[in-house]
Amino acid sequence: MKLEIKDLHASVDGKAILKGVNLSIGQGETHALMGPNGSGKSTLAYTLMGHPKYQVTSGQVLIDGESIVGLTPDKRVKKGLFLAFQYPVSVQGVSMFSFLRAAYNNSRPAGSEAPTIFEFKEVVAEKLKMLSMDDSFLNRYLNEGFSGGEKKRAEILQMALMQPKFAVLDETDSGLDIDALRIVAEGINKVSGPQTGSLLITHYQRILKYVKPQFVHVMYQGRIIESGGEDLSRLLEEKGYTWITGYQEEDQAAAPSPQ
Amino acid sequence: MSQAAVSFGEELVRSLSKSLDEPDWLTASRLEAFRSFSQLPPELNPLYTKYVSTFGFQVDQFKMTTGKSEVDFRTFFGDFLTGKESNIVLQGNETQVHAELSDSLASQGVNLMPFHEALKAEESKVRSLMERRNVKSSGDRYGAFVNAFFNGGLFIRVPRGVKLEEPLRRMLLLDSPKTPVVEQLFVIAEEESKLVFLEELYSKGPSVPSLAASNVELVARAGSHVDFSTIQLLGEQATHISNRAVDISNDARATVSSLSLGSAVSRSRMNFLLNGRGSQAEGFEIFFTDARQRFDFETNLVHNSPDSTGSTHARGVLKGESQTIFKGMIKIVNAAKNSRSYLAHHAMLLERTAKSDGVPSLEIDNNEVRATHSASVAQIDEEQLFYLMARGLSPDESKRMVVLGFFEPVLSRVPIEKTREGARFMIEGKWQGEKRRLADRETLLAQTGELTPEVKETEDIFERHYKYR
Repeated sequence: MKLEIKDLHASVDGKAILKGVNLSIGQGETHALMGPNGSGKSTLAYTLMGHPKYQVTSGQVLIDGESIVGLTPDKRVKKGLFLAFQYPVSVQGVSMFSFLRAAYNNSRPAGSEAPTIFEFKEVVAEKLKMLSMDDSFLNRYLNEGFSGGEKKRAEILQMALMQPKFAVLDETDSGLDIDALRIVAEGINKVSGPQTGSLLITHYQRILKYVKPQFVHVMYQGRIIESGGEDLSRLLEEKGYTWITGYQEEDQAAAPSPQ
Repeated sequence: MSQAAVSFGEELVRSLSKSLDEPDWLTASRLEAFRSFSQLPPELNPLYTKYVSTFGFQVDQFKMTTGKSEVDFRTFFGDFLTGKESNIVLQGNETQVHAELSDSLASQGVNLMPFHEALKAEESKVRSLMERRNVKSSGDRYGAFVNAFFNGGLFIRVPRGVKLEEPLRRMLLLDSPKTPVVEQLFVIAEEESKLVFLEELYSKGPSVPSLAASNVELVARAGSHVDFSTIQLLGEQATHISNRAVDISNDARATVSSLSLGSAVSRSRMNFLLNGRGSQAEGFEIFFTDARQRFDFETNLVHNSPDSTGSTHARGVLKGESQTIFKGMIKIVNAAKNSRSYLAHHAMLLERTAKSDGVPSLEIDNNEVRATHSASVAQIDEEQLFYLMARGLSPDESKRMVVLGFFEPVLSRVPIEKTREGARFMIEGKWQGEKRRLADRETLLAQTGELTPEVKETEDIFERHYKYR
């Protein structure tokens, strides 16, 4: 089974951001997607998940050969897709517990029976332990008042409960200190098994010390301009993105192109 | 036997008072109220007059009959009629159809009786209370309306030192085509007592124009604690008027929680009078509107004494072409040093055709106070919906979760558990287009025993938001 992205073009508010992305991810594979700010990495993540503001103008996204373009996000979840958000929103008044339960029940394989509230408590307890999270976490409002590290851990907790076939992790390493980064990265490793294909979007190389990708891709101006093995990320770390993009300053690449 | 329906005029005032066998002083008081009603404009406060055209209504379209309604209420009240719950009053229109007070409360001197019964039993006490009413006929046209035309009411009193834990209850069923229900309520917590009250307002059968109006005089004597709550689910064509005032003495605490779901038009006034040193008040206006509903809320926190603490939380969700307005006022007089006050209004609009206004005002006459205020009116957050959908929840389910969650920060603070749980259940019902009664919740709870897991708000409201010091 594969997640295939074929010549994907997408725009936001009429502005073209993705300009022909090609990528194929198999189950059990870990791909890292790197690139300077503004290159379209997060746009790709949102487009894959079906954010209503991101319009696919041409190209294909296929899971197991079936197109998911045009499906609402919940239908994409049922196809096995997961997105760990870079900035998870908080929802006041919705308890973490009822949210996780809803997420779990909505991503179960079709035909399986929903667990009782007690069975579910056991399922969550085990995942919490795996991510060194406290039970009290369940009695809080969804992401409300969470620290950066708590939010990212909560994302991985959701991934652990939903057991996706394909996970897109959008800058899950950003805003974390070294300890939090290690815990989150270990979580990702535990959660993604041979049944999961991951796309790890990252700006920096540091998370790749913990989560080892087999494939590294570099995105720039809405396209993947370079692909390679793990050594590519090390070269990027040494030489900077300018080595590939040709720009003097990384920041200039982040700015909208002048023409 | 029912008599002919009569318009709201002086003649009705006299015949009503006569048919209720009232003393002359009360007839005179009604006539005085009638004169205010005839003369006053719908809105006295110049800050609010511009909203009258949207939220105004005519009571003149209704007529009143003086006589008993003859309606079958048995099916509606079911096993509440046969002792399912003690300490309850069941009412069909203005008529009490069943009342029950446990021996234990009765022997402690707790009163739960129709207003006119109390009037007969203790005329001088009731007269003195009537003379000190805080819903003044001179202050508001609709307050005057109730003072002039009340055809029923309740008298509730908890004696000194008696503490109730479970609510005294009343259910009012409006039998739509019949007479308006206009009520005078007294709710009195004597010194060091605790009074808990929950009322539910419903309509029976097909919806036709109807009117339910009440003035509620709450009295929290020194050291007492009053938790008062109302759940309003009147019919689609009902008009609802509520004027409430609570007089809070030294070290007393009063909370008033309202859930407004029903009626075409609702106008609620709530005056918290923090008259005693160290008095505390907390108000909740929770609403969920749809179609063309018009809800008009006003809450005033009047700090007349030092060390008083008041807060009011208005929060609601609007659908369809409904409109709401919340007018909130914090008034702290010069003598009320070291007082704290909080005022919040938050509304969520589910459709672009819905409209909500918040009009907060502060009148503060001394510097040694803390007043905070917070307000927002916003559309449902698309990013929240996307996040929930990205966790497999359908678009509808995501919306439901965000909407029901929106009520929680305020709902979870409502002090009476039965009201809180019931409100959750009925809000969810309205979301699903069902008319649920609190009793259905109790039945369900008895079957499953599964309470909604709650997240308790612990945040200190006086420590956040914009501050006036």
